[in-house]
Amino acid sequence: MNDMELLRELAQETPLPAPAELDAARARLLAAIAADPAAGGFTPGVEASTYQPDPSTGQLVEPLRPPAPAPVLTAVKFMHAGAAGTAAYLIIALAYIGDIKAYHLTVLGHHLTTAQLSHLRPLIVTLVIAVGLAVIGLWLWMARANGQGRSWARILSTVLLGLATPGLTGDHGVLQVFAAWLTWLTGLVAVWLLWRPVSSAFFKQCRQAARTRQS
Amino acid sequence: MRGRRESAAATDAAVIESSRRQPERFAVLFDRHAPHIYRYLARRTGRQAADDLVAETFLAAFAKRDRYDLRYADARPWLYGIATNLAGQHRRDEARQYKISQAAAAEPEVPGHAERVAADVTARAMRPLLDAALATLPAGDRDVLLLIAWEELTYQEVSRALDIPVGTVRSRLNRARTKVRQVLAGTDAAATYKEITTNE
Repeated sequence: MNDMELLRELAQETPLPAPAELDAARARLLAAIAADPAAGGFTPGVEASTYQPDPSTGQLVEPLRPPAPAPVLTAVKFMHAGAAGTAAYLIIALAYIGDIKAYHLTVLGHHLTTAQLSHLRPLIVTLVIAVGLAVIGLWLWMARANGQGRSWARILSTVLLGLATPGLTGDHGVLQVFAAWLTWLTGLVAVWLLWRPVSSAFFKQCRQAARTRQS
Repeated sequence: MRGRRESAAATDAAVIESSRRQPERFAVLFDRHAPHIYRYLARRTGRQAADDLVAETFLAAFAKRDRYDLRYADARPWLYGIATNLAGQHRRDEARQYKISQAAAAEPEVPGHAERVAADVTARAMRPLLDAALATLPAGDRDVLLLIAWEELTYQEVSRALDIPVGTVRSRLNRARTKVRQVLAGTDAAATYKEITTNE
């Protein structure tokens, strides 16, 4: 008997495991499969439930939200970039707000007088800040909700992009046009990423997990 | 039913390829190879660690399935490679395992014909020596030796599993076997064998 035969002989002492011994490992793999964005509506093991046994305790545990796939994560980054861009634009706008001349503003088709502008300036500044902060808030809110797989957030993001589209045209300064296009394109890329097939599978899974939690 | 038959007939590569679109197909690979991977890990790290490591092996394989080279129909070397890497992370435990097993009591004998019994007795008598020899081997040499001796992989399969050239597999195996033989010869294995069989 040579060394290799001895080793093989020793190896025979370890039998193949019984199927039940692999149950915990199988459950962990199936949980990972279920969390895979490409899995769509796959429910491992028991078809009626997404609940999986905890390998350590054997107890059924609440299904976890699957990790966001790369396109969704990139979309979230674009939304954060959109928020940062809007913040930068807001700062620039506030810096140059003092240079606004009366003839730049029209109310109901009429140019304002210098006296009216002077009277309205605090209101304009307040409005600019409020609108700017609201837009930044929207970007961040959409980024957070989409990252969490909220289907409504994906739809709302798309609607908001549509609402922002008319703002691309009009009688604006070069800086305004540039900023408007830049933020709109950022939003367009983010929305496009959110509607990729992998992203759709992720949103679908999150929806199913949420339904399971509710029931 | 038809799907199950198709799954049974499909090569590992075909299963992995389809699992990229339908991840649930990857479970076929688990059912096919998990028992052997588990046994390999149990031999190397002990049953307790194997419970966890077999799951880790298939989780890692599932995560890396997009990178699997579909030219290879048999995924065993790939899985053994992952399992070996994971077992490597447990090397300290592994060395301890060998030391513990040296002190372990002999298991009940399996009945069989005379030659088989003699071989069993020899193997068990040699076990502490073999364990000691394995514990002294460099990790890479031990991986090669055990994949060939225990899992009966070919040189090419070990080369794939460990991502090393076939020449390196040969040299590592030679080195490992030489060292194991030295350990066995140094303790006069032949005399031990003779003594045991005479007492029988």
